[in-house]
Amino acid sequence: MKSFLKLIFLPILSVGLFIFVYLNNIQPKLGLDLQGGVSVILTAEEGTDPELIEQAVEIMRTRISAFGEVQEPEISISGENSVLVQLPGLTDQEKAIEAVGTTGLLTFRPVLNSSLNLGYSPALTITPNEDDPDNPIVTAPDGVDQLTGLTLDDNPDTDSYLLSLSDGFPIIYHLGPAELTGNDIDDALAVYPQNEWIVQLVLKDTSEQKFTDLTKKLAKLMGEQRRLAIVLDGQVISAPGIAMDVNPEIGITGGTAAISMGNSDQGESANNLAVILRYGALPVAFERSSIQKVSATLGENTLALGLQAGFVGLIIVSLFLLFYYRLSGVTAILGLGSFGALFYSIIALLGEYQGYTLTLAGIAGVIVSIGLTADSYIVIFEKLKDELKVGRSFNFAAEKAVTEAWNTILVADFVSIIASVILYILAIGPIRGFALTLGLATVFDLFYTRIFIRNAVPLFGNITDNPRSYFPLTKKDIENV
Amino acid sequence: MFKRLFLGNTNIDFHNIGSRFYKIFIIEFIIFSAVLIGSIFGFLNLNLSVDFTGGTTYQLDTEYTDNDVDDVLNNTILPVSRYQTFDNSNTIIFRAVESTQERETELLNYLSVKFSVEKNEIEFQRVGPTFGEEITNKGIRALVIFISIIALLISFRYEYRFSLIALTALMHDLLLTFSVYVILGLEITPSTIIALLTILGYSLYDTVILFDKLKDSQKSFKRDTLTSEILNKTFNEVLMRSINTSFTSAIPIISIILIGNYLGIEGNLSDFAIPLLIGILSGTYSSIFVTVPFLSKIIKT
Repeated sequence: MKSFLKLIFLPILSVGLFIFVYLNNIQPKLGLDLQGGVSVILTAEEGTDPELIEQAVEIMRTRISAFGEVQEPEISISGENSVLVQLPGLTDQEKAIEAVGTTGLLTFRPVLNSSLNLGYSPALTITPNEDDPDNPIVTAPDGVDQLTGLTLDDNPDTDSYLLSLSDGFPIIYHLGPAELTGNDIDDALAVYPQNEWIVQLVLKDTSEQKFTDLTKKLAKLMGEQRRLAIVLDGQVISAPGIAMDVNPEIGITGGTAAISMGNSDQGESANNLAVILRYGALPVAFERSSIQKVSATLGENTLALGLQAGFVGLIIVSLFLLFYYRLSGVTAILGLGSFGALFYSIIALLGEYQGYTLTLAGIAGVIVSIGLTADSYIVIFEKLKDELKVGRSFNFAAEKAVTEAWNTILVADFVSIIASVILYILAIGPIRGFALTLGLATVFDLFYTRIFIRNAVPLFGNITDNPRSYFPLTKKDIENV
Repeated sequence: MFKRLFLGNTNIDFHNIGSRFYKIFIIEFIIFSAVLIGSIFGFLNLNLSVDFTGGTTYQLDTEYTDNDVDDVLNNTILPVSRYQTFDNSNTIIFRAVESTQERETELLNYLSVKFSVEKNEIEFQRVGPTFGEEITNKGIRALVIFISIIALLISFRYEYRFSLIALTALMHDLLLTFSVYVILGLEITPSTIIALLTILGYSLYDTVILFDKLKDSQKSFKRDTLTSEILNKTFNEVLMRSINTSFTSAIPIISIILIGNYLGIEGNLSDFAIPLLIGILSGTYSSIFVTVPFLSKIIKT
């Protein structure tokens, strides 16, 4: 009874999981090479501070999510100084690379107006609609979205309406053309002199006069127009006002300025602003060491090829085992089928809950593991034959075969597992997906050998003791050895 | 014959034919060394993919004529160094040198107009030479660590001479695959490197199963040294398993190659499959015919 429970444990588990996965419509998450998209490897100079690379990755993530049309982008640090950016489903390569790879455009622009005054974007003109008082007529200038009142394609040389989220609520600023850019900045530092965080801004010697002139102009104005917006890639990062004690005749001189950042968040926003001012978008310059673009059709084709090849392979292997090992072959087919269902379910679940993506290399790992799994059965069946040859009874031979073959399979699988682990730890990119599926399949193989095959072979060995039912041999052949 | 093979009572005198296979091994070894040295010193041309040399590739599905291809090769935008076409499919791949982004985009536009294919449907790749180098370096590092651990494992479970034999068989498989690649001029891609690493696993797996069987036979003969009797019995018995296993392992891989060829799909999956197939066949051969001569030598001493 106990052995019967063990025998059905894995098949039931695998069928159960498969039904669960099927009913919940959980499918394996496909990698970029199987569904199409763009993948870029960006490499920084050797010896770059890992912290800077982490910062860069954070910034890239924000930029990609602002980009909108990418589903499930994946940006990860790979190796010591490389960043792997994967944008599945996206085919416009230029746009994508622009979004992550470039250092970004930092500009300083005078504020002309803001939504704080009106309650809505200063770009929109709202006139009452006499026929329908609830729906007033909204008009917007060219190049501005009618719904949000934001400029669609920001050009730093003309007026724009841009969004700021830095105050915890959205503000839309009407901005003049850029007066200064990130190139005018020499350094920026977050400091805490007295009761308050301050970003200390140092301008380049050549830009000192430009800054003084700009602040002179702004100090003459009042209210919203006294502000200078810091804009990064079309988003207002901060819009500090010019202090009231700045003399409109003199402006801010000496090439330095201090931006008060308050005291509410332990200097986090001050540090972020300083980083942006110092480096523009990305704190490190990256070189594109690889760009790969896979069209959606090619991805689908490859997936279809992988599935078909796997399926055909499995069927031929099953037929072969059935033809050759007869009744024992039935156990092998049951085992392999259950193994396949379990493996598929686990890959799908890993994708759903752990973010594991199945790539081409992963599929190759699966296909390779079919052979290795089938081998466990072959090793046991051959062992069974050897025991029968010595003249043992079926019951005894089956029992002995599964026990002794276990050691052999354990050692051989152990080699495969070591190979997978080492590959996984040391390798990059595609090799990892391969190592993971191969390792996973080998571990499953051990479970199946120990729990399923161990109990299935003796059970099937009990059915009849005619060797013809198990091997292409007759009783005579065996007795004659 | 089949029945005897299946019963494992073929009477091949492995101990005696060991010396014959030793000669074959030496010949193989000389060829492999020649290929290896030749490719290191540049006498033989390695067909390295764009991942190792750096450059750009443009892959498109289109109807084309030889004249079209000539036009592309003689274009004035970027030097196109090579192109590749496939049987059973309209896929064509152009390889160009690395250049500025503007130039690369210009060639993309040119190809798009020339073959009237949407720009989005052209698969574009740009690779710096560092990528392939990184994969190779990491692969070699993985190889060294893997081999050391396996050598220790085998020495611990069997004996140190066995681990030397296993590693010899392993090197045989890797070098054989490499030599086939060099001699046939097949393209070496990062997938090839991955496949080579997999062959490692296969080759050792096969050899370890053999050693285990050898140990078993020793036990049943109640001996703790290897004799020619044990060697012959074991290898005669294990012959059928080796054939069956390599058959079941090879089928899924052959189906990748055949189905891929039938559907006209070339690319990464086939890049895996071809070296794997070579490796598996070689692994089956080496686990018997490379180990036997050395095991015979152990018996003699």
